[in-house]
Amino acid sequence: MDNTGKEKEAMQLMAEADKKVKASGSFLGGMFGGNHKVEDACEIYARAANMFKMAKNWSAAGNAFCQAARLHMQLQNKLDSATSFVDAGNAYKKADPQEAINCLNQAIDIYTDMGRFTIAAKHHITIAEIYESELVDIDKAIAHYEQAADYYKGEESNSSANKCLLKVGYYSAQLEQYQKAIEIYEQVAMSTMDNPLLKYNAKEYFFKASLCHFIVDELNAKLAIEKYEEMFPAFSDSRELKLLKKLLEAHEEQNSEAFTEAVKEFDSVSRLDQWLTTMLLRIKKTIQGDAGDLK
Amino acid sequence: MSSDFETYEQDFGTITAEVTNKIGKIPKLSGEEKTQLVLNVDKQLEEVRELLEQMDLEVREIPIQSRAMYTTRLKSYKQEMEKLEKDFKRSRIAYSDEVRNELLGDDAISSEGQRAHLLDNTERLERSSRRLEAGYQIAVETEQVGQEILSNLHTDREKIQKARERLRETDANLGKSSRILTGMLRRIIQNRVLVFVLGAIILLTIILAIYLNLRSH
Repeated sequence: MDNTGKEKEAMQLMAEADKKVKASGSFLGGMFGGNHKVEDACEIYARAANMFKMAKNWSAAGNAFCQAARLHMQLQNKLDSATSFVDAGNAYKKADPQEAINCLNQAIDIYTDMGRFTIAAKHHITIAEIYESELVDIDKAIAHYEQAADYYKGEESNSSANKCLLKVGYYSAQLEQYQKAIEIYEQVAMSTMDNPLLKYNAKEYFFKASLCHFIVDELNAKLAIEKYEEMFPAFSDSRELKLLKKLLEAHEEQNSEAFTEAVKEFDSVSRLDQWLTTMLLRIKKTIQGDAGDLK
Repeated sequence: MSSDFETYEQDFGTITAEVTNKIGKIPKLSGEEKTQLVLNVDKQLEEVRELLEQMDLEVREIPIQSRAMYTTRLKSYKQEMEKLEKDFKRSRIAYSDEVRNELLGDDAISSEGQRAHLLDNTERLERSSRRLEAGYQIAVETEQVGQEILSNLHTDREKIQKARERLRETDANLGKSSRILTGMLRRIIQNRVLVFVLGAIILLTIILAIYLNLRSH
């Protein structure tokens, strides 16, 4: 009951705001404080959108916010316009992801224009997340994450940049773009190596980089692991390194059982997550593939 | 001559073997059997001593050239005998498992009990190793959680630093704007004063004009 009441009210407000905008369009209205009317209309649109949100009518709310945003642009209120676009994006997220992305893109354009790159980067991440979850378009998601990482780097927020880069690496490896993934993981690992807060993460990144090397070519993996051990002695104590060495041996001997055993042993201590399991499976397939060739 | 010596040697060997055997048995026995065995061993030791004396005499009758070998042999036999005597003395006061069992009660630890004891121990060991494994797993998980928390902290740290920078900028901007506003206020006051002054002058001029006009009439 309450919701439908709110919706009706919201519709009324929209109609009112539309009238105001049209009124300001006419000559007389433009002369006598047309701007005043347009500002009023903006405010009314915003109120209407909030009411739609209460009524859970997300697409109508998004629509209202977009209208408000356009009016703000007319008034040259860039900041207000951008915030309205972001609100619209949030509202559309629940109903129509594509529209949401459009609104967010427009907001990002305004922010980059004004030079507010941190906020733009944040919104790139939001868009990338939408691509990840709702629209499942991994390529575009990667592109947005990369943009976000670049902006963060530009603003010297290295931690946030690293977070985005990691996601890029994650998805590139899934899409078999191993070279890119390797570069990213190495880069991130080296930058976190020296930082006392982050160095405990570094070994994980080296491990992931080595796995990617492994899939590409076994010899590469060996050289890379030696290089990492030299650079980062703590890496040599880790269980991950022991696992890698065992895997290398198993691969040399083309022994897929030893491989599976080593993996099971590692798994019993700490669960392997989705990404790791996929990568290890791919490596295992190369072993079995080679063994098949030999036969 | 030497053949006698050899016979003596053989006898010596057999008797010493028997004596060693019996000495081994003595600690396990007790009471009458023990005293009998002890007497037995005593007698045999006597025999051995006599044998040694005879061997000694034999050796003396051998010409000096070939005596050396026999003397060494004799010496080693004498040493063996002394050792046997020592062992014998020790064995009479030796401890043995039997005596211990008598003290602690019959069948204190039977074979069945030992088996159950061992199984219990193995199970305890297995339980401990399982607990250690679980502990290790938890430690590893804790480390991973710690890693995540640390990286989150780092991100937050950067955000806070940025926010502080912006705050300082805002502060500076506010100071600037406040100065501009005071400037504006001053100018407004100046303008108003100017307007009043000009208005006053115009009024005076008008009054003067009217006055002069009236005067000239």
